[in-house]
Amino acid sequence: MSVSDKTLMPKDISRPKAVLSPIDSLAPLPAPYHDVGAEPGFRAMKPACAEEHCASLDGFVALDGLRRPQSKKEEDEFVRAFVSGVSKIFADSNNNFLQPLHLTMDYCAKCNTCSESCHIFASSNGNEVYRPIFRSDILRRICKKHLTASGRLLGGFVGADIDVNWESIARLGELAYRCNLCRRCAQTCPLGLDNGMIAREIRKVFSQEMGIAPTPIHSKGSMIQLKTGSSTGLSKGALLDTLEFIEEDTEEKTGRKIKFPIDKKGADVLLVHNAGEFLSWPDNPAAFAILFDEAGVDWTLSSDMLGYDGVNYGVWYDDAQARKIALGQFAAARKLGVRRIVVGECGHAHKASAVSADRMAFAEDKVPVESCIPVLADLMQSGRLKFDPSKNDFPVTLHDPCNIVRQMGIVEPQRTILRAICPQFREMATPGVDNYCCGGGSGFALMNSYNFSDFRNKVSARMKFTQIINAFADEFENPDIIKCVCAPCSNCKGTIRGVFEFFEATAQYNVHYSGLVELMVNALASMSRPYLTFEPEL
Amino acid sequence: MVVATLVSVCVIAAMACFLLITAVKARRLKNLPLHSRLELYPVPKEGGGRAKYGGSYFEEVEWWAKPRSIDKVSETREILMEMLFIRKLFQNQRSLWWASWGFHLGIYVMFAWTALLVVHAFWAPAALSWLATAVGVLGFVTATLGALLLLLRRAFDKTLRKYTTPQEYFNIVFILSVLLSGIYCWSAIASPFAVANGVLHFSGQDLPWQVVIHVALLCAMLVYIPLSKMSHYIGKFFSFHKVLWENDPNLPGSHVDQRMHAATSRRPQTSWSAVHVNPPKTTEE
Ligand code: SF4
Ligand code: SF4
Repeated sequence: MSVSDKTLMPKDISRPKAVLSPIDSLAPLPAPYHDVGAEPGFRAMKPACAEEHCASLDGFVALDGLRRPQSKKEEDEFVRAFVSGVSKIFADSNNNFLQPLHLTMDYCAKCNTCSESCHIFASSNGNEVYRPIFRSDILRRICKKHLTASGRLLGGFVGADIDVNWESIARLGELAYRCNLCRRCAQTCPLGLDNGMIAREIRKVFSQEMGIAPTPIHSKGSMIQLKTGSSTGLSKGALLDTLEFIEEDTEEKTGRKIKFPIDKKGADVLLVHNAGEFLSWPDNPAAFAILFDEAGVDWTLSSDMLGYDGVNYGVWYDDAQARKIALGQFAAARKLGVRRIVVGECGHAHKASAVSADRMAFAEDKVPVESCIPVLADLMQSGRLKFDPSKNDFPVTLHDPCNIVRQMGIVEPQRTILRAICPQFREMATPGVDNYCCGGGSGFALMNSYNFSDFRNKVSARMKFTQIINAFADEFENPDIIKCVCAPCSNCKGTIRGVFEFFEATAQYNVHYSGLVELMVNALASMSRPYLTFEPEL
Repeated sequence: MVVATLVSVCVIAAMACFLLITAVKARRLKNLPLHSRLELYPVPKEGGGRAKYGGSYFEEVEWWAKPRSIDKVSETREILMEMLFIRKLFQNQRSLWWASWGFHLGIYVMFAWTALLVVHAFWAPAALSWLATAVGVLGFVTATLGALLLLLRRAFDKTLRKYTTPQEYFNIVFILSVLLSGIYCWSAIASPFAVANGVLHFSGQDLPWQVVIHVALLCAMLVYIPLSKMSHYIGKFFSFHKVLWENDPNLPGSHVDQRMHAATSRRPQTSWSAVHVNPPKTTEE
């Protein structure tokens, strides 16, 4: 714990200091990584970049679009815009969050029950700025001071004690991106309050009012998706080429011929992937094609604008972006006349289209949305897919993506599948709805500006890496045993890939990750060759 | 005589204020617009045994075409466990639970004591006197001990101290002053039965000044609690029932569908300023 942590209080957010609360201690990882000192350290920000953005919270920069004002006038405008944005989260411009927001802002008992549940707070050995209520209380105190009569009249007595200036606002903006929005803290709150939701409201103030958001999720994310159809920038033409390539590659590698059905009008199922799968993990959409074809599902992909990328980064930081993308996705499904949308292995795409977007459109303008996981379990249980579990006879554990499990309640179907097809399946500690985030939630998986990936690999993903190591216990250090983490979510896979690279876990200990469908195809009785080759990542 | 009548009026008015402000606050929260879904599992009303492990209707293929299985018993049990035992605090922070539960239990018991005093003012068998006395002693002791422990914890726990505002200390001290003055009055100055009897029958009998001060503090507290953050008994209902456990889908003809259609007549008047956000049309446009 840094010296400042011991005394650091919410009002210190405006304290002039080069770095308010650097991470100088980390929770130890289990063996063989128990020597924290042997880990690659944090890369320091270059002084010029630190000066240009805000690195004064903890030495990292997530908000690469946030630039230090060059004049008093610019700073005044920055402060004005922030206060205006904060007032708007309590106005009818934020109708769809008013009730939960008021509840969390008004009723926190400061009991501190939520702190221990946060993997970021725990992994940093209790760095005060990562305590779930630290950021909420800063917002609460700012609101008191600037938006309430009691704050103006009674000041510090009611907690209205935070000065708003560039430093405090910019640090708060950065702090909103030190939370994975996993909402594990909300599960433990005796009053049912939600500090993750508050972090997202702060992100909204920055994006919706001030136009400031991390480049990978805004200008190179949701904006690109609205312009080209996919946050990867994959256009319709490029998609079709990619699919053709995947078909050829799959046949070459597995001997199995697949053909992606595209824009099939009136199909039963529109399968929507995270388009990152086509580019980074093409085995995943190919595995879906193998399973759906073998089971005789009447399905299609869409090549229409927004129809082939299920991601919706708006759910992490901006309601307006989330709504535009969700409505576009529903429109693409309606245009094809499909009966249902089935979301592939992407956690936030699941929650975005099935939960967050549920009340963005009228019921008659939507197409029913469901997760691929119960669909796959049903295909297996109904006997339409036959498996030979001996093909998966290696240790497998399961990561529960927060969006699919804690935030949607899909817990058992993936376990039903894994128990049937993986003889050495074992749970991680605290599985199911009590899981820990992979550390890449809410956009972290994509955010690599400056030294931010160090924060992800060493801090936010630390708890998950600990759980993975512990799940394999003695087998972890044996490179002769293949070990696999099943992570049915693109962002989680991306994060786990990064951590495995960072700690050289695959290279040294033969530990891998995979989606659920790849494991299913690997165990499919009809497959003549192994689907999973467990080659090291290049 | 005048003072005693005033006390009678104040007590009744304070109780009415407590109920009225509570109702107004609850109504205000209830009338906030339909919010985006923010459910968090386990959702105890999920039927078919799903509540136990945190499952939901999303686990079923074509969930929208199937009847929903709602487990009201599980939901009621869960909220009762939270209200009566503060289970989440018990599970996640046992050391604070003892003080907090003692305090809240004491408050509940004090409500029962108040009800018994009211009954006793109109019907007073000896057994009721004994029962009311026992309940009163239990309520005062547990609430006072709980409040004292909470105050000490807040004052000496380094983390809690950082986040507690002076007003939040004031809230506990205020409640403690009511409890301690009550203990002093009812054990050394006057009989609570006689005072309750006098107040409720507007008998105008003279009241000792210590009792007048205690009752004045009590009345102020009854008005202050629903106005302050201590009204979390209202908030807790909404944060569980209407946010974390509210997972009703927006299906055609559902209550969500109806509320969404009804909301279209009220267009937002405030809009966001970032260029990428399309501001909603104003009425002038
Ligand atoms: S939502 Fe998750 S990451 Fe954010 S404060 Fe809560 S537990 Fe921590
Ligand atoms: S557990 Fe809930 S009430 Fe307690 S400090 Fe955390 S958010 Fe506040």
